[in-house]
Formats: sequence, C-alpha cells, structure tokens
Amino acid sequence: MNPQARYQRFHWTQRVEHVLLILSFTTLAVTGLAQKYASAGVSQAILRALGGIENARTIHHVAAALMMFEAIYHLVGTGYKVIVRRSRMSMLPTLKDMGDALQALLYNVGLRKQRPQGDRYTFEEKAEYWALIWGTAIMALTGFMMWNPIATTHLLPGQVIPAAKAAHGAEAVLAVLAIILWHMYGVHLKRFNKSMWIGTMTEEEMIHEHPLELADLKAGTAQIAQDRKTLRRRRLAYFPTAGILAASMLVGLVYFVSYEKTAIETVPPAVDVPIYSPQTPTAVPTAAPHVAATSEPADAAPAALTWEDTIGPLLAKQCVMCHGPVNPASGLSLASYQTALAGGAGGPGVVPGAPAMSRLVVVQSAGAHPGQLTPDVLSMLKAWIEAGAPEK
Amino acid sequence: MTSRRCALAGLVGVALVLLLAPHTVLAQAPEPNNEECLACHGNPGMSTTLISNEELPLSVDPALFGASVHAQSGVACVDCHNNISTFPHPHLSAADRRDVTLQLYSACKTCHSDKYDQELDSVHGRALAGGNVNAAVCTDCHNPHTQGRLREKGTGLLVAEARLAIPQTCARCHSAIYEQYRTSVHGAALIGDPAQGMPGGNPDVPTCIDCHGVHSIEDPTTDAFRLKSPALCAACHADPQRMDKYGLSTAVMSTYVADFHGTTVTLFEKLSPDAQTNKPVCFDCHGVHDIQRVDDPQKGLQVKENLLHTCQKCHPGATANFPDSWLSHYIPDPQRNSLVYYVDLFYKIFIPAVLGGMGVFVLTDIVRRLIERRKGAKPQ
Repeated sequence: MNPQARYQRFHWTQRVEHVLLILSFTTLAVTGLAQKYASAGVSQAILRALGGIENARTIHHVAAALMMFEAIYHLVGTGYKVIVRRSRMSMLPTLKDMGDALQALLYNVGLRKQRPQGDRYTFEEKAEYWALIWGTAIMALTGFMMWNPIATTHLLPGQVIPAAKAAHGAEAVLAVLAIILWHMYGVHLKRFNKSMWIGTMTEEEMIHEHPLELADLKAGTAQIAQDRKTLRRRRLAYFPTAGILAASMLVGLVYFVSYEKTAIETVPPAVDVPIYSPQTPTAVPTAAPHVAATSEPADAAPAALTWEDTIGPLLAKQCVMCHGPVNPASGLSLASYQTALAGGAGGPGVVPGAPAMSRLVVVQSAGAHPGQLTPDVLSMLKAWIEAGAPEK
Repeated sequence: MTSRRCALAGLVGVALVLLLAPHTVLAQAPEPNNEECLACHGNPGMSTTLISNEELPLSVDPALFGASVHAQSGVACVDCHNNISTFPHPHLSAADRRDVTLQLYSACKTCHSDKYDQELDSVHGRALAGGNVNAAVCTDCHNPHTQGRLREKGTGLLVAEARLAIPQTCARCHSAIYEQYRTSVHGAALIGDPAQGMPGGNPDVPTCIDCHGVHSIEDPTTDAFRLKSPALCAACHADPQRMDKYGLSTAVMSTYVADFHGTTVTLFEKLSPDAQTNKPVCFDCHGVHDIQRVDDPQKGLQVKENLLHTCQKCHPGATANFPDSWLSHYIPDPQRNSLVYYVDLFYKIFIPAVLGGMGVFVLTDIVRRLIERRKGAKPQ
C-alpha cells in the first residue's frame, strides 16, 4: 500500500456543484419548512429574521433558481463525461447494488462474513444520488405548478395545485430527514469522508470504500483510453450542442421564474358602497314634530271651550310652573280662574270679551315668551275670551 | 381599635362625605325639575330658528322621555343641559343643528366617562377630532330623551330588542351599508327578509357591533384590521356550539390557515400586524356586509362561476380550472379533492418507508461497528 498515493474522486467542477447544492438546498429547506410549519414558534423566528414571509418567499425562489441552475450545470457536466470521455456510467444502479445492499444488511446482523465490496460508487452513494435526482425532479415540477398556478390550470385540473403543494412539502420533509439520516451518517459519522471537499482519497480510504474501483485503477481498466484526436473531435461537437441546450434550458429557467403574474399587487377594495350615507332627514335628539302631534293638547281642542274643561288644564300644564299660586312670576297666577282674571303687575290677565285687552293674549301674541303657545292654542284662547271667557 | 382601623374608618367617612356632598348640593340648589322643563318643552311643535336658518325642534315627548332609562334613573334635564337653570335660558350660541349636538354631547361624559373615553379613541372620535363634524357622537346613536335600557340589570346582557335595533341605529349614517347588510345572510336572519323566507330575530347572527365593537369602534379600513379580521369571523364560525345548529363547518379557519392565503395572512398578523398584504382574508371572497349563503345563485361561492369571478378579482388571468386549486375549506378525502388526499397518503407511507429503510441500515451498521470495536477487531 502506498500511503502517499491519492486517487481523484471529484474534479473541482463537481465540487463546485456540491457547494451550489449545499447553498440552495439549505436555503430552500430553511425557508420552505418555515412556511410549511408556519405556526411553529421556530418557523416564525426564522421568518422574522428573514424580514417576513414575502422576503422568505423571494429568498426561496432565488434558491430554487440556483438549484435549477445547478441541475442544468450537472446535465452538461454529465453529458461531457458520457458523450465525450465515454466514461463508464458508474452511477447507474445495477443488480449488484441490490445484492450489495442485502449483503451489507446481512453482514451487519452477523449473517455474512464480509461487507460488500464497493465499486466507484457504493450502493449507499447511488441511493443518495438517485434520491436527489428524484427529489429535484419532484420539487421542480411541483414548484413550477405553485409558482405558475394559472398557467398550470390552463392545462390541468385545479386540484393539482394543492396536490403539488402537498407533494412539495412532504418531499421536502423526506429530503431533509434523508440528508440528516443517510448523508450525515454515511459521510460524516461512519467515516469522515473529505473527498467532496479536497477531491481525492488516500489508498487506505480507497481500500475501505471503493476496493473494486481501486483494483480497476491499478489494473488500468477504470477508464477506457481515448486518443486525443477523437476527444478533440467529440469536444468540438459537444460544446456547441451542449451550449445551445444549456442556453435554452437557462431560458427555460427564466421562463420558469417569470412566466406568469399570478395575482394583482393591490389590495382589492372591501366595501363598494359609500361608507357615510346618512338617512334623511337627519335624526335629532329632540322629538320629531309628528311624534308630538298625537299627544294630549291637540286632542283637548274639541272639548267644551270653558276654563274648567279646556283653558284651565292647558294653562296649568304650560304656565303654572312660573305663574303658579306660590310666588307667581310678575304677580300673575294662572292656577285659578279668579287669579287669571285678576292678572298681575302688567294688568288683568283675562278681560272677558276683549282679547286685545287681555294681558295673556298680548304677551303671547308678541311671541318669544317662555312656554310660547302654538298659534292654534293661542287662537283657541282668543276664541274663549271673545266668548266671554266662561268658567264652566 | 387599632390605629390602622381608625385611619380606615376615617377614610371611609371622608369618602362618604365626598360621595354624598354633590348630591346634597344638587338637592338643595334651586334648579328646575324635569316637570318644570317639560311644562314648556313637553309641548309639541316648540322650535327655534338657528343662525343657519335651520329649524331646531325643542320639544321632548314627555311619554317617551318618561319611558327612557334616563327618566327612570332619575336623571334631571339640567344634569345634561347644565348651563340652564333659569328663564330666560342662556342664548343658544350654536350656529346650526350639528353644532347644537356637538356642544351638548360632551355632557354624557359626566356619567358615562368610560364609554366617552373609548369613543374619543374610536374611528368616530378620531374623525371628529380631525374636523369631520358628521362623525357620530354619543347622542347620534343614543337619543338621550328616548334611549331605553340596553343591557339587562345584573346580567349585563344586551336586551334582545336593543340588539335587533342596532343595525337601524348605524343605518342613520351608514344607510348604504345597511342596505347591503339587510339582505345578507346575517342581516336577513336578524332583521327578517320575506323574500328569503327569513323570519328575523335570530340571536346567533352578528349585528354591526359584533364585528365593529361599540364605542371603541376601530377603523375597519386599516391594514391591521384586515389582518385580524379572520379571527373575528372565526369567533363564531369556528365555534361548534353556534355552527352545529346550521350544519356549518367549523374547519373554515383551520383550512384557511393551512392554505397559502391564510398562512400568509396569519404570518403577517403575527410578524408585522400593521403591514399590508393583499392576500385575501375572509371578507375578500365572502363579502363584507353583503355576505350570502354559499349556495346563493348570484353570489354563493359554492357556485363555480361565482367562485371563478371571485378568484378573478385578484387573479385576472384565472380560467375555469383555476378555482379548484382552492380546496373550498374542505379537508381532502377520497371523495372530494381525492388527488390531494392520495398524495398525502402516498407520503404518509413513503416517508416512513424510506426513512425506516435507511434507519435499518444505519442502526445495524452502528451496532456492527460498536461490536467490532469492542472485539478489538480491525474495522473493515
């Protein structure tokens, strides 16, 4: 074993992909799960720290675009290896992976003597890679639907939007938990695998993790030899084609993120009628005339036009508060027939047969007297005096 | 008796004197009683002409006043009209009828200072302070000469007839809104609408004040009010006791909050309660004062065309399939929204299956490695 030997596992272009994935995936997970579990305190703390839900959504969308960009990048890179370099498609799942998985499990429980022998990619790594491919595809598809619901429902039933939301959220939970469980254990806890950062592995690490690939490398059969001319020819064909494809995919990405304007940006008006629309006539706290019209005094008119039946009660109600028997204003008491005739300081209150000489009529006709009699009542009073002001 | 008790007794004594003193003074003062006032003002047709040439009625119907809560509680006319004690009365300085009201209504605070203070801070009080003389003051809603008892003595509950009369009170200034409310599902149940076969008098439906409050009425056009409005609706619509009677779902709030719109509004309310969002609240789809039954042919949201029309208010590009992207407050089940139900079901099985599978590998691997380490065997 050569302790100095280092075997390349990931070219720097691939390590860049890993960084892009970490950035986009983590951002998406944090901003997405905070939305899925919006009622949780920790989610609200995250969203508050990000400047609110609308900001968090924008960040989520930017991270989503970054992940889509990374997917395009990955397609171009993979295409180069497969089409130009004719590398073995070592990431494709095979029957051996099924066998390896079973063997690993049986070994762990003590039913096999040996761990499975890993090739370039172990069954654990393939499981994670294809889970990521599956997850990205689902997330991109359902994300597009939620991002562009109007466009989506032009073609598909409306229900696919909430179904997409359900799948997007559930898939996110699955992805995050799988990363924590499978990825963290597989490359951080079980053995700290730095190859995705430094690009290479030592021979000892290769013996543990990828013995079959190491054997191939040593035997010189890992990479099918390509002559320079062929490679150049393939590159000349691949780069323009891949460039056009990548460019159109990037255009597709822009289309993805900016295709539709789903909703208006203003707040719809809530009430479409005038708020202040007073009824007419405007109500006032004092009695409306029609309410008072039905009360007593008007009804009293048809009764006999005498002091006892009509005039006395009327004056008692309206005047004796001031012109009462005790300490009458201006010395006039209208509490009794006699005192009304006698009058006060201004002269006799009532002069039978002569309304114009009756102080009561004179003062009331001038108007603006407290307890002003209405014109109807005043004419009734005059009529009574003209008729000789009968007591009974 | 300890000195502390002495001090307490002294305090009580002072308090009693202070409490009783004004009443004693009132009782002794030669102020006119209500009968004296009504001797003139009880007559119909009394009025005066104001500077504005408006006629100001001055009559108070003695019968209606007698039945009012003020007369029943022994409130004197001059308790409110406290600038009047003799005749002739002081000159009326108000320029017009509105001015009369605005000069007089502050007398209410003598007895109702809590309500008065709440009103100062309300949308009406602020509008008035901002120079809108039409903004409602106490006496616009409560005619002090006729106002009956609103709350039952003891229980403090709104008197049933008083509750029924609330919309008519608000209608004095908000008649257009009243017209919408009158035929809405809530208004018709309260007021009665023969056209809908509604008898009226329903105690469960909201009157104006159930949503807007009384006295401390908030401006309902603010972003803050908009954000908390779903909670107003949910106060009744998430209450099984109320909703079961009418066979209405109480999941309306939880399903709203679970959806994109409701999640956003809830987050806005929690994180920035004064900020603006145009994500819909209940009333954006169901209407404010003109809320109809969901099966109403013209406006009910159960009718697909109506729902589409509602969606298009905010999503102008929406087409026929679009409204189904909203689950209409239903929880997905195999019959309704089955696709969503089965997606959920798939992941309910898929997630534990995948993680469980991974877990089996990880756990057995951990155990195996621990055993190997203990045996001192060189880890493979």
